[in-house]
Amino acid sequence: MSAAARLRDRFRKSADKRLKLVGASGQLGYGVPDAAFQAALERAPDMIGADMGSTDIGPTFLGSGEMATAPEQTRRDLAKLLVGARKLDAPLIIGSAGSAGAGAHLDATLAMVREIAAEAGLSFRMAVIRSDISAAAVCAAIADGRVQSMGVLPDLTAEEAAASANLVGQAGTEAFVRALDLEPDIIIAGRACDTGIYAAIPEWLGFEPAAATHMAKIVECASLCCLPGGRDSILATLDGSGFELESMNPARAATPMSVAAHSLYEQGDPHRIIEPAGAVNVQNARYTALDARRTRVEGATWEPAAQLTIKLEGAALVGQRAVLLAGSADPRFIGRVQENLAEVEAVVRSLVCGPDEAPDYELFFRTYGLDAVFPWPSPPAHAPREIFILGECIAPTAARALAVVKSTKQYLLHHGFPGRLSTSGNIAFPFTPPELSAGPAYRFNVYHLMQVDDLAPYFPVELETV
Amino acid sequence: MRLMDLARVVRSKNAGPLYLTFDIMFETEADYARGLAAKGLGADAVAGLYGVSSNAVAIIPYPTALAIKITLPRPAAAGGPRDRDVYGAQQHVPLLEIDV
Repeated sequence: MSAAARLRDRFRKSADKRLKLVGASGQLGYGVPDAAFQAALERAPDMIGADMGSTDIGPTFLGSGEMATAPEQTRRDLAKLLVGARKLDAPLIIGSAGSAGAGAHLDATLAMVREIAAEAGLSFRMAVIRSDISAAAVCAAIADGRVQSMGVLPDLTAEEAAASANLVGQAGTEAFVRALDLEPDIIIAGRACDTGIYAAIPEWLGFEPAAATHMAKIVECASLCCLPGGRDSILATLDGSGFELESMNPARAATPMSVAAHSLYEQGDPHRIIEPAGAVNVQNARYTALDARRTRVEGATWEPAAQLTIKLEGAALVGQRAVLLAGSADPRFIGRVQENLAEVEAVVRSLVCGPDEAPDYELFFRTYGLDAVFPWPSPPAHAPREIFILGECIAPTAARALAVVKSTKQYLLHHGFPGRLSTSGNIAFPFTPPELSAGPAYRFNVYHLMQVDDLAPYFPVELETV
Repeated sequence: MRLMDLARVVRSKNAGPLYLTFDIMFETEADYARGLAAKGLGADAVAGLYGVSSNAVAIIPYPTALAIKITLPRPAAAGGPRDRDVYGAQQHVPLLEIDV
């Protein structure tokens, strides 16, 4: 009998209707702290979950199909969770596989899982949820007026949708519930709402979505809801009316205030958690201390959506990126650095392009110490002692981008300007080469809502015996 | 008094790749009330700091955590060319000097 089937049978027969869920990691692949994870296993949880992805890492990983995390560490984390879950025979659910959850990320994650299973002598039933959305399906929805902008990006056009190197949708709880119907031991999903990982088993077993989804939104970040917040595993115990939270690191406390404050984290509105099939309203949620380290949460309500939607994410190639790393401590150079950079940029353009040729690249400087992190409206009251200049070029080819930053480096080093004292060089290079190819550059070209009548056709589920 | 001397937490982060969200948390009810009353934390003032229109700025009091949330659109989607802060984790700094 599979882990999912065994859990369902246990739940049907037992008078104890509490469900113990472990949020093992909010971002698998950067390391899962061992002591807290082992402590979680000792509590014999009914399921173990982990999220692997986010849009925080930017569009490049979605576009390129690469993982943001290092393969070796990702494999180590996956192995820890797989071995732990199989030892307990508890379902393991992993969402947003491989950082961005497109087909390439999911397939790379599945390959790791199969290798780990072979090495550890594990055998299990694995349900796989795919989240790639075809540009054709999106174009059809655009034609029907069923794709909406969420702001900042303009209305989606068919051309823009087709320009995506990868296009995914966020699978919701619904897809995980269909995967559970296949009675797996583990579920690996492509791009997914992080709540689906933890809300699916409760929903599959008949819990109401309000408390289950509120719980899911908190435990998906592991012990981040605690004081002090951290990446250690967390245990949630869900019952008919609410849930209790306890970090698996004894140094972290889930207090009413810390848990309530977590509703703010990375959410535009702390009162509503919006999901494909509805929203959880936590405005009247109550947070009660059970003791110094555990908090009970009740009172969230569920508002079913009038219209099912899928959040679409796409990334399109912009070009190839090269960077230049350069510092300066010279007060005369720093005093007119913006003019110097503009003058060097013009010189470089005249060198790398023909006389009537428009540049086929974009060169952009971030001047750390002045305004690289925030576009301050006015210069600082006192000039900084040192500055760091990050030159960035995006061009059609990697060779072209590198050529532009190489000329930039040399002409920045020797740029003559009024008042110059340091006539042998304006710049300190931290090492050579100070020009580096940084791979392909992408942009989010799709982050839109698509209305659908049925979620299931967009997130196919298949079962594999490993 | 500056906000950085009154608040317990002042932070920013992406809320998805299109929006920045700011959380300002206070230690006491009195500090929270003082923050809520500050003109510099009104939609018009915040819009000016971030170069967006004031009707694009959402200011949401969250008394449960003695917190004020501010959400506004990013100048462009995160991680594209010329972005300055892919995670949006350092965009809170202009708020620190607000007079409360």
